[in-house]
Amino acid sequence: MSTQQQSLEAVKDYADDYDLKLDWLDTRGEWGIKATPDARKGLTLEDIQTGSYGEVPDHTDNMTGRLRGAAQREGAYRTGGYTVRTKSDIWLTNAAMLYEEALQRQWSSATDIPWDTIKPLPDDVERAQCQLATFLTEVEFVAADVPGKWVAATSPDYFEPRMFLITQIMDESRHLDVFRKRAFANGGGLMQRPDVTTSGVVGSIDLSKDFTEMSSRLHISGEGAVLTIFRMGELMAYNEAEKYMYRLCGQDESRHVAFGVMHMRYLAETEPERKAEVHAYLDEGERALVAGNQNPAARDTAQSEALAVLLGGGQKHYDEGYKKLLAIRKRQSREYIQRIKSAGFGERFENGRANPELMEYAKA
Amino acid sequence: MAESEEKQPTKTTPPPRRRRNLKIDHDVEVPEPGYAWMPRTLEWGVRVKPGAKGMTMQGLNVGIYGEIPDRWDEQTRMPRGAYPMAGIPPIGFALREKREVWADNAADLYEEAIQRRWIPASDIPWNTLEPLPDDVEAAMCQLCTELSQAANVEFETIGYWLQHMSYGYHEVKLFLASNMFDAGRHHEAFRKRALANGGGLGIESKGEINRMILESKGGWSETSLLLHLLRGLFIQTIYRYGERFAHNPAEKVMFARALQDKARHTAYGLQHLRYAVTHKQDKALVFQQLLNIGERVFARELQEPVVLEPLAVIFGGGIEGAKAGMREVHHMMGDFVRSYLASTDWIGVHRGRAFPKGLSRYLEA
Repeated sequence: MSTQQQSLEAVKDYADDYDLKLDWLDTRGEWGIKATPDARKGLTLEDIQTGSYGEVPDHTDNMTGRLRGAAQREGAYRTGGYTVRTKSDIWLTNAAMLYEEALQRQWSSATDIPWDTIKPLPDDVERAQCQLATFLTEVEFVAADVPGKWVAATSPDYFEPRMFLITQIMDESRHLDVFRKRAFANGGGLMQRPDVTTSGVVGSIDLSKDFTEMSSRLHISGEGAVLTIFRMGELMAYNEAEKYMYRLCGQDESRHVAFGVMHMRYLAETEPERKAEVHAYLDEGERALVAGNQNPAARDTAQSEALAVLLGGGQKHYDEGYKKLLAIRKRQSREYIQRIKSAGFGERFENGRANPELMEYAKA
Repeated sequence: MAESEEKQPTKTTPPPRRRRNLKIDHDVEVPEPGYAWMPRTLEWGVRVKPGAKGMTMQGLNVGIYGEIPDRWDEQTRMPRGAYPMAGIPPIGFALREKREVWADNAADLYEEAIQRRWIPASDIPWNTLEPLPDDVEAAMCQLCTELSQAANVEFETIGYWLQHMSYGYHEVKLFLASNMFDAGRHHEAFRKRALANGGGLGIESKGEINRMILESKGGWSETSLLLHLLRGLFIQTIYRYGERFAHNPAEKVMFARALQDKARHTAYGLQHLRYAVTHKQDKALVFQQLLNIGERVFARELQEPVVLEPLAVIFGGGIEGAKAGMREVHHMMGDFVRSYLASTDWIGVHRGRAFPKGLSRYLEA
């Protein structure tokens, strides 16, 4: 008998004397786990994926909200309304790492943006900046509302992707807030909300019944398009505050896009039979990408005109700005294509399935 | 590594400036812009300056942008104060009354949550963990299992509700996002503690309180009553005692940080519940009914040994000290019950004789 067991036996004898049940000592998960922190990164989620705690089931019937690796209790209530109980439905290989990165790179819109660098701008430029900020403050929180629902719907056995989605909710809150702050920081205000719907119709992010369907729209096409814009922030920023704003948001957004790409890659590798279905989601996503609901660079919208004003340096230089906008759209399309290829769905660009207008943008 | 190619040197330093070479086609035909959006604003000329705490959300509530309506009829994601456009299909937000979600402190608590963010991986001095006696380690691991699962219920609950809250009250949505983020961090930190010192996870919760919170779907206020007030104050009390009885700096930091977060969640909850009670006539009665049931469920689940017994072992320094430890548990429960009753009074729900004996007995402690 090990020392530990001897000690526990003694404990139980003692418990009997003092009316303690101590039955929790008999029913535990794997014991003897000693995860070691990394000298540089600390104790990460990857470090605790050890022993049975690192074993992620392909399918789970855990409906009680039990932590992965905890001992099961007979008679526990089935409290969880989990619809995501298959690993390939939500998994990716690096969610734990992306989660830790998200925590390390949190920032504050109140204090990390050098707001005092904002100086009065010409009225047309300020209006364009505020128009873009109004658009972004609306659409960015879609990416917080929707993941919240999926966090609640996913089994705790897949907690790493859930944890990442929680960081995304926090990131998107900050994006809502930073663009609202920008709109009020320089003599402007909010402007026209998008005149096309961003939600609530078939094919939109928030109506998806399947996580991959949602992720393909939210992370790949929606956030991917916005990421390109943020990366071009240097071209449309008029002060350090705006540059910081776009750079920091871009940093967050790149994690979200990486999540989507890696999840799709995992699905393509583990359930190739679902690829045809995912291509159907991508068909829809590409239509939205060129039509413009969630893409500020898409054509003929208030925000695309605003972008052209910002890129050109005012209404007088609209033509120049518009040409830059087309170049950004081209970059957007190419980055999208690259992501889809990386995710394992690149055949759509070889077999003619990809949206022809998108392909034209990429070639232009 | 995320898509950004650069590694950032600090947490909040943005990536260095990158050259973006755009290949511009100068021969394209440029359509005539309409600029219909240019004059479309409900209020122009706003210039908010950052204050001592920087540029805060509360600071933005100026002019019409600070007018928070009692009812928000807009059924889309239109930001409060934006120029509305006709013809946008509704989404169907269930919570559109201010009294259903509001708390005056939500915006400030949101900013505070961001300022006081912490990172379990690197802000907890994990290398200060030292081997503990088996019984104490087992008790600590069981406690951490329970706390991690409770945090899981917290973020699942808020994740469900967030989508139902209309955009007219974005301050609340933002705060609750930070609440979710905090709960995720607690879920993570307690799991890490259980797996970092030669132990492992314990047994799952029976889930009676979890079920009560998760299945509370009648209204956000009712959920907040159970999540923030009843269970939240209990967890907050455990965190406080956890810090006091920590075995090492790692546990001390973990509980202290979690406590700070929890205090914010409670602050929102109380403020909201009081607002709800003062703005809807029968809300106090509804809350009384719910607490009549909820407190009994809570007292019943306390009979399960998975929380109070491990605490007694921890407080007593081992199973042999559990008797003394249990006295400390009674003190802790007394603290909880007193703060709970003070809080119910503060929100305008006086428990009086309805308060169950299973909890009132701790008042003698």
